[in-house]
Amino acid sequence: MAGGTVSGSGHTPDERAKEVRRVRLNVVLYRVMAYVTGVVLIVLCVLAIMQAFVNDEAAVSVVGQIHGGLYIVYLLVAFSLCRRLRLPTWPTVAVLLAGTIPVMTFIVERWISHRYIDPALAGATAAANPPVPEPRS
Amino acid sequence: MSGSPEASRWRFLITPKWLAWHALVILIVVGMGWLGYWQLRRAEAGNALSWAYTFEWPLFAIFTVVFWVKTVRDEIHPPAPTSWQEEAGLPAGARQRGGAGEPDGEEDGDLIAYNAYLARLAKEVRGHGRWHGLR
Repeated sequence: MAGGTVSGSGHTPDERAKEVRRVRLNVVLYRVMAYVTGVVLIVLCVLAIMQAFVNDEAAVSVVGQIHGGLYIVYLLVAFSLCRRLRLPTWPTVAVLLAGTIPVMTFIVERWISHRYIDPALAGATAAANPPVPEPRS
Repeated sequence: MSGSPEASRWRFLITPKWLAWHALVILIVVGMGWLGYWQLRRAEAGNALSWAYTFEWPLFAIFTVVFWVKTVRDEIHPPAPTSWQEEAGLPAGARQRGGAGEPDGEEDGDLIAYNAYLARLAKEVRGHGRWHGLR
């Protein structure tokens, strides 16, 4: 690194491009899961509040189980993304727990995108297409 | 009082912050185990929908333990930067040099944003100790 040359990092441009693709896929999966889990959780909350007036336990149970299953998938996808982006512990915990708090997935997704995902993707693009050095004459 | 190098590598585990972290993890795992057991009793009492939660809570407990192990492992062997972070010069936050004599004014917006991101990450890590911000 100190030498200022690109060689010696142990990553070929090909591997780099592959990793960037994996990160992009992981980001898409994370966003999909954040929104799906968030919407289902809001539905669950609405049903739970309605249960106070209409006694329909079955609907709450079914949606609760759907959210439970989705949350497991969300955990895996979000944790893998946090590892890939080298997030510190507390942002990681915030991302993982967001899936259990109503509306929180949307807020955290915006925050994480702004603070970590967008800059990392920008850096990935910059690193995947390094400026071509001027040919020496 | 100085232990062997091997022992001192692990000493961070008994600093107050890490002890608090261990305690929190134990509390969470015990709590999840208890919730799983509670669901098991409900399931056995005839609540069929509790079966799913009977397995879900232990799963979350296992995940918590995995997470804890990762934090400890990362502290001992900080993960290598991603290939593009490496390329761009983490952890110093130094900008990438495409080649000798590269003019400074030619960075695009992406690279400027990324350099700001690297600088901020580096600052956060400095402020909090090591990679995890737990020490």
